Amino acid sequence: MGASARAGAIAGVVTIFLAAVGLIGNFTDLNLIGTQVTFALLMIVISPVLAGYVVTSPRVEGGERVAFTLGQAASAGVVAGALAGAIFGAFVVFVDVFGVDRIRPIFLNISPTLMDYLTQDRPAIVAAAIIVAASVAAGAAGAVYRVLPDGIRKPLGSAVWVTLLFGFLQRIVPIALDQLDIERDWLYSKVTRGLTWPGAILIALVTAGISVLKARQGETLRGAIRGRGNGERRGPLTLTPLSIVLALAGLGAVLIAPHVLGSVIAEVLGTVMVFALLGIGLNIVVGYAGLLDLGYVFFFTLGAYSLALLTGATLNTFVGSTDPAVALDLNFYVAVPVVIVIAAIAGVLIGAPVLRLRGDYLALVTLGLGEMIVVLVTSPWLGPLVGGPQGMLDITNAAIGNFGFRDPKHFYYLAFAFVVLALFVSWRLANSRIGRAWTALREDEQVADAMGVSTTSYKLLAFAMGGAIGSVGGALFAVKIGSLTPASFQVLVSIQVLGIVILGGIGSLPGVIVGSLVLVGLPGLLREFEEYRLLAYGAAVVAVMLLRPQGLIPNVRRSRELHEEDREQDKWAGDVAADEHVAQGPSPLGEGAG
Amino acid sequence: MADSGSERAVDARLSGFATLPWRRIILGILGATIAFVVVVGSYRTLTLPEGERFSGDFWVDQAVNGLGQGAILALIALGYTLVYGILRMINFAHGEVFMSGAFISFFFADAYQKSGLLNSRPYVALTILLVVSILASTVVAVLLERIAYRPLRNAPRLVPLITAIGAQLFIQNAFRGFFGPQPRGYPRPQILEGGIEILGIPVAKVQLLVFVTAIVSMIALQVFVNRSRTGRSMRAVAADSEIASLMGINVDRIIVITFVVGGILAGIAGLLFSLAFTQVQFTMGFRPGIAAFTAAVLGGIGSIGGAALGGFVLGLLQAVGPPLLLTGFGVPSPFSLRDAFVFLVLILVLVFRPGGLLGSGEAEKV
Repeated sequence: MGASARAGAIAGVVTIFLAAVGLIGNFTDLNLIGTQVTFALLMIVISPVLAGYVVTSPRVEGGERVAFTLGQAASAGVVAGALAGAIFGAFVVFVDVFGVDRIRPIFLNISPTLMDYLTQDRPAIVAAAIIVAASVAAGAAGAVYRVLPDGIRKPLGSAVWVTLLFGFLQRIVPIALDQLDIERDWLYSKVTRGLTWPGAILIALVTAGISVLKARQGETLRGAIRGRGNGERRGPLTLTPLSIVLALAGLGAVLIAPHVLGSVIAEVLGTVMVFALLGIGLNIVVGYAGLLDLGYVFFFTLGAYSLALLTGATLNTFVGSTDPAVALDLNFYVAVPVVIVIAAIAGVLIGAPVLRLRGDYLALVTLGLGEMIVVLVTSPWLGPLVGGPQGMLDITNAAIGNFGFRDPKHFYYLAFAFVVLALFVSWRLANSRIGRAWTALREDEQVADAMGVSTTSYKLLAFAMGGAIGSVGGALFAVKIGSLTPASFQVLVSIQVLGIVILGGIGSLPGVIVGSLVLVGLPGLLREFEEYRLLAYGAAVVAVMLLRPQGLIPNVRRSRELHEEDREQDKWAGDVAADEHVAQGPSPLGEGAG
Repeated sequence: MADSGSERAVDARLSGFATLPWRRIILGILGATIAFVVVVGSYRTLTLPEGERFSGDFWVDQAVNGLGQGAILALIALGYTLVYGILRMINFAHGEVFMSGAFISFFFADAYQKSGLLNSRPYVALTILLVVSILASTVVAVLLERIAYRPLRNAPRLVPLITAIGAQLFIQNAFRGFFGPQPRGYPRPQILEGGIEILGIPVAKVQLLVFVTAIVSMIALQVFVNRSRTGRSMRAVAADSEIASLMGINVDRIIVITFVVGGILAGIAGLLFSLAFTQVQFTMGFRPGIAAFTAAVLGGIGSIGGAALGGFVLGLLQAVGPPLLLTGFGVPSPFSLRDAFVFLVLILVLVFRPGGLLGSGEAEKV
């Protein structure tokens, strides 16, 4: 019971935190399903649900993994939920007694709206009692969910989260349906903007159905694989007619997406792809070579500004010449290779002195570089060249003939082409001799050195290549926004890109795409959350590092390493507590330490 | 075969590239450039024609301001150095520990300003503010250790570093969520307004307070680490945590104490910073944090004396360096490049003398 109480107490404090930063009070109108399930409600119940779920994780007794029985789980969940509710309820009563008006000048998000939502015109003490009851139910639900048999648990889980996801996508799905001229009022209400209840139930049922079907299919597949024996291996890409059709359909969907979804979403997707490109580049540095670069914004800025200088006439005015010979006025497609070369050279020049430093020092030097370039482009010193705080205007639109790429729908295709190219380069690199050298370097530098891998030059190569891809991201970004201001080039860009790489799974290319969709796409589509984006980034980075260091979509080789270790440990000492295992398993960053 | 042959060719070219002493060449060029800028820049600045030239008073002012800022940097730098000494980990979020103290104490300062206590009984008010600032910073430091670092004690060293960046972002934006994004004016009691003359040099009273408080705190820290039983345990853990734990030292407890001490110093620095610059904002921790880390590296990270020295030296460099070196080249408003200057110092120290001023001077490889 001690563990349940502790989890409950933490959940209660977390809920108070969510209320204090405004994640409850500012979102009482964000309806997800009907008018009942709002984002605010979700924020109130999520912590008790998680607390209930966490406290019922299987215990290890005498080397055996023991699952909770239904009764035990329910009672643990009730305890956790009750304590969480009691703490949050006490907070509500406290605020009510003390007076919102006296707290608001300090905690500006503990607002009358929040209190109105929490109390619903009832006396605070009654409201607190209702909160406790809801919390108990939430805690019990989280706990019971954990001990349900797989056949029920998985469909239920996916039904709930997919339905909520559709609730969140209320800005996108309706627009897409409208563009396709599909009647959508039965699914998304125009009044609440969220899902309607019939729509939500339909989505939940469909998801659950798909989940059940997939589970059955998985069962037959697993049977087939077992039948084939362990010695046989599948090739990395088995081309079946079905997979070809699926791939073509996927490609088609990606290609028509901007026209189906409209400009707003195409614009967000364009940003997603710029960040995906940055992620692919940083992934080479951090994921393949294991060098922590916190100043990736350096290459991003370098790319954007050098493209602007190469394609514009600014250099001309800077030199004070009207002679056309000085104006560079290059075509975008000529300028990009030049930008790449500049970035690669810069990468080598910067990398050479600092790459011999230990990992954490390298991180700081790069952070410093990233900050320095921001200061430099803003400073009056370089003002005549790059425009200082005003920035640079009229960047090329990368036109081919008369077809410009400034329009979000057009930019999408330009960015898509570059992302595909970068993905291909990065994928081929990973499986080449160079990629293997990077892996060796990352896993153990001294051993790699002893094996004849020239560590410094491979580090430099990674740094320069990552920098080159990052600079292309910058160049594309310049085309996308059309005018550069230093405000777009903050150190936070580095952290965002790092967040993308980490969330997706360090070293994993599909992870980068998913990471940028989640960390750039979702906040881009949910403008209300703009203020909370960085808070979410911070929380996500910490949570991923603590709970799932391999990321959402782990690199295949690394996850295989993790699983091999599983088996060895099973042989050696029976089962190991799952949580401990994740924390101590081989980290995706490798042993960067000496 | 053809494929692996071409790969081998690439590799051969790579190693040919590597056999050139690139590092030496680049370092040489870098060193020569810096020497040129320093010598020519200061010469040209100091020999500017009369009227354009900075007066002697200007340099004295700069030096005094620089030392005051250096004192604050030194206090924050001590937090980095203590944690680094014990955990061999850069506590990236330490700047936010500093920010928390400053920000929370603002609400008390504001209330005392409104009630008049700040000016009627300034010593009482300042003491309370100091306690509040220290408490807030300490709580954040301890929570940080407990939630973000302790579970990763045995992880590869880059993992806690990444967590620290996440934690930094989280703390910053949590404060933004709690208290709003706008900067707030920090009230300063009247007794700290104005200045006095020491040995003929005019010094603002605030600077004096900053300087004296910082020196006293550093002496107290030195005594604590060298004389107390806990301090001895800290040194033992820093030397070898495994052996220390065999000797009956509770390593976890010592680590928490280290974070507490770092938090206390950051809290003091937070209050001093607020009094000196009379403004707090949720982003205020980032740049002083990086500058303080630079100071710690400059002095030799892991060494307490080094962090203190590094703070003062960096403060001076930051205040005197940009106008001295850049004005001569006709760079407009050299002060806007102050932060870039800090990073340049960081990079140069790491490149040329990674051990720092008081360190061993050995390049810490890998």
